[in-house]
Amino acid sequence: MDIHEYQAKQILNAHGIRTPKGKIAYTALEAKNVAREISARGPWVLKAQIHSGARNQGHFLEEKAGCNGGIRIVHTLEEVYVNAEAMLGSTLVTSQTGPNGRLVSRIYVEAYNKVVHNFYLGMAIDRVSSMITLLVASTKDDDITEIVVKNPEKILRVPLDITGPTYAQSSQIISFLNLRGKSEDSFHNFVRGIFKAFVAADALMIEINPVGVLKNGEMVALDAKITLDNRALYRHEQYEHWRDDDEIEVRQLKASRYGFVYNEYDGNIGCIVNGDGLALAMMGLMGTTAACTMNIKGGADRDKIAAGIKIIATNPKVEGIVINILGGFVRCDMIADGIIDTAAEVGMNMPVVVRFEGTNRDEALNILKNANLPIVIADTMEEAVAKIVQAVEDGE
Amino acid sequence: MSILADKNTKVMVQGITGTQASFHVGRAIEYGTNVVCGVTPGKGGIIHLGVPVFDNVKEAVKETGAEVSVLFVPANAVKSAITEAVEAELKLVVCITDSVPVRDMLEIRNILRGSQTKLIGPNTPGVIVPDEVKLGIFPENIHHRGHIGVVSRSSTLTYEAVLETNRAGMGQSAVVGLGDDMIIGSSFVDMLQLFHEDKDTHAIVMVGSLGGRFEEQGAAWYEAQTMRKPVICYIAGSDTTFCRHVGYAGDIITHGRITVAGKKKILSDAGMIVVDNINQIHQELLSILTNAETID
Repeated sequence: MDIHEYQAKQILNAHGIRTPKGKIAYTALEAKNVAREISARGPWVLKAQIHSGARNQGHFLEEKAGCNGGIRIVHTLEEVYVNAEAMLGSTLVTSQTGPNGRLVSRIYVEAYNKVVHNFYLGMAIDRVSSMITLLVASTKDDDITEIVVKNPEKILRVPLDITGPTYAQSSQIISFLNLRGKSEDSFHNFVRGIFKAFVAADALMIEINPVGVLKNGEMVALDAKITLDNRALYRHEQYEHWRDDDEIEVRQLKASRYGFVYNEYDGNIGCIVNGDGLALAMMGLMGTTAACTMNIKGGADRDKIAAGIKIIATNPKVEGIVINILGGFVRCDMIADGIIDTAAEVGMNMPVVVRFEGTNRDEALNILKNANLPIVIADTMEEAVAKIVQAVEDGE
Repeated sequence: MSILADKNTKVMVQGITGTQASFHVGRAIEYGTNVVCGVTPGKGGIIHLGVPVFDNVKEAVKETGAEVSVLFVPANAVKSAITEAVEAELKLVVCITDSVPVRDMLEIRNILRGSQTKLIGPNTPGVIVPDEVKLGIFPENIHHRGHIGVVSRSSTLTYEAVLETNRAGMGQSAVVGLGDDMIIGSSFVDMLQLFHEDKDTHAIVMVGSLGGRFEEQGAAWYEAQTMRKPVICYIAGSDTTFCRHVGYAGDIITHGRITVAGKKKILSDAGMIVVDNINQIHQELLSILTNAETID
């Protein structure tokens, strides 16, 4: 689960990490009031809260939001009001959101912190070594977007033991970043704090881009991104209300209520499967013709397949549906019944190709054949995709 | 010969009394798996599915000599269940449970380092040696004994790969699901190694997917070997769509964005036979078979 910057900063603060003084605002008036509360005079930083990095380089779709990005430094209370008004209710597009962007419904207002130096710090899990790994890069010459693409060797990777970074490791990072002497203790505490937050919150990723170094050598997290582990949310009831439905597409949200995984793309074929790997394999076969994939997961039954078809049918891009069910302990005949039910209820007005394999496959195919519906049967995945692509082309 | 387990292996089931476990373990016993006991804390002393149930692993091992364990316990109990199994020096744990918190898995991996115990999973359909032993939830009827080793990350694609070996008229020496979670106990390298040591395995089918660099790691191992069995490899996924992500750390950790095309190139450069479509596996198997000298 991704969370907003201001929420991530609450987690960091609880582990002794310093962040600029800030408050969240939902309206322009509120933004002006909290700005005055934070500091008697500017500058302030207005930060659009969406689940994405690269907000500064992003752009808004609406004209009223102006040409500036999602992070704005302002100097007067009037500017706070005008810019908050412009950004709120507008759609911010970044390199990480995709072309549809995200609606900005709240703004984090912060005091501007003057720093002498800044750098990138990330912490994430290296799956191959199964270790939490610290990532650091100096952002003096390039920002991290550039470094990742052009000079990835300029990023220092430090695999961390389960007990966290050692003093020797933070010393190594300090000399890598060329930080001055008085930053040393401050940095060690900072990096320990990030690690403690990572473990305590059950994070999968923490990214501070950038960390600022104040004149007195202290570290301040100017930005913060945290991804939390969904599997561990049961241990953190306090984060449950941070789940932001506005960040999730409508059909994705509906699908998630049934425990399905749903993703949309730009093609015209909808696809239902019962496994993550199957979804990926079907994507490989469909390529750009995929409009969406829905994984109804294990324990698929009559009701689940019906719910899945109904959600997919509301996607205006979908002109044909391919269903690929691999029955291990799932009974294919029950799935066939579900398809017939849905066809009767919502009417099948587009081509459907079904591929069944596994338990009670033959019974299932008989059910479909006897139903007198325009359903095409396929033997393999490859054939199923070829047939649905053909059927959709024929229909056009 | 087979890898990981055979019909004589003494199998324990942790969490045996649950509904899912009862169903699947019942079928495994019918299949011929030598299940000797179960462990469910608080239910020690009862007989379930015809085998004694114990309160803890240590006691169960002492009484029955169990060597491997299959885990069906709830996600929040996985860490303590595996810890017990490691302390009792079981040689293999197969964790069927999914949604284990990543932090718990990091701690489990730490416990496993330097121990006697090998972990398969979590979130795996398990291990099956056709006609001998089933440690997991595979549908039995699609499996046939033969000489192809199958290893896959995804559950459903494991079945698909098995069907491909059947289409080629060949059976499986063993089928292993590595599991589709972020942190897993065993990797492609571990299984490629076991299949290479196994005389019964003549060729290997490997099914990978996006996420992580496990396939690349397998390719590097394979490339370094002098005696190599044919490996047919399929990678699930597509590079044609935009994938939404937050932050840069994910891409940095994997040394750049992972693509299907990139993975395929690394595998084929290492000498593996890479197919674009999972339904091409049977054709490749048949063409290997016609070059019979490559097979024992």
